[in-house]
Amino acid sequence: MAAGPVVKKIVDTYKSKVRLVIKNYPYKYRDYSHIAAEASLAAADQGKYWEMHDLLLKNSPKLDRESLLRYAKELGLDLKLFTASLDGKKHAAEIERDKQLAFDMDLYSTPTYFINGRKVVGNRPYEYLKQVIEEELKNAKK
Amino acid sequence: MKLKAAFLSLILLVICTDIFAEEKRFNIPIGDSPQKGSAEAPVTIVEFIDFQ
Repeated sequence: MAAGPVVKKIVDTYKSKVRLVIKNYPYKYRDYSHIAAEASLAAADQGKYWEMHDLLLKNSPKLDRESLLRYAKELGLDLKLFTASLDGKKHAAEIERDKQLAFDMDLYSTPTYFINGRKVVGNRPYEYLKQVIEEELKNAKK
Repeated sequence: MKLKAAFLSLILLVICTDIFAEEKRFNIPIGDSPQKGSAEAPVTIVEFIDFQ
């Protein structure tokens, strides 16, 4: 799972003060977690990462191959390239690297956030994340 | 003597509590992961995500 709207609101509110970085941590026992991560990175190759990211969150858990191809088409991606990337698991190494990072930190659930390195586990209300960010902005000014 | 030892233990406890109160910060390499916003931003949020 991912938070989607709450994080989006944070990024929209704080704009230049916040940078958002995504690491993939697909759960191995879910059918479409891996292929969805591949789809997001395949879209990134064509400059449409965030558009695909939003579509995946909106349509989750409908993330089977056919659905992913439909989302790619919806975004106007080059389908031949996208399909080759998806089927060839072009980004498998990158995804594994993210997973390894998660293992190394004993992470077991998504979403997990690190706000300037401070760990926040699970979906949180906007106010909670806002408070952590305000604290960090205060620290940054010191 | 006993009192002195008790006092020292107390001081030690206070110091330790203070050290652990400082939250652990993880240093996560950003690499070429998808990102939005400026690298100069004072706050970086790294999100570990599973789309399903």
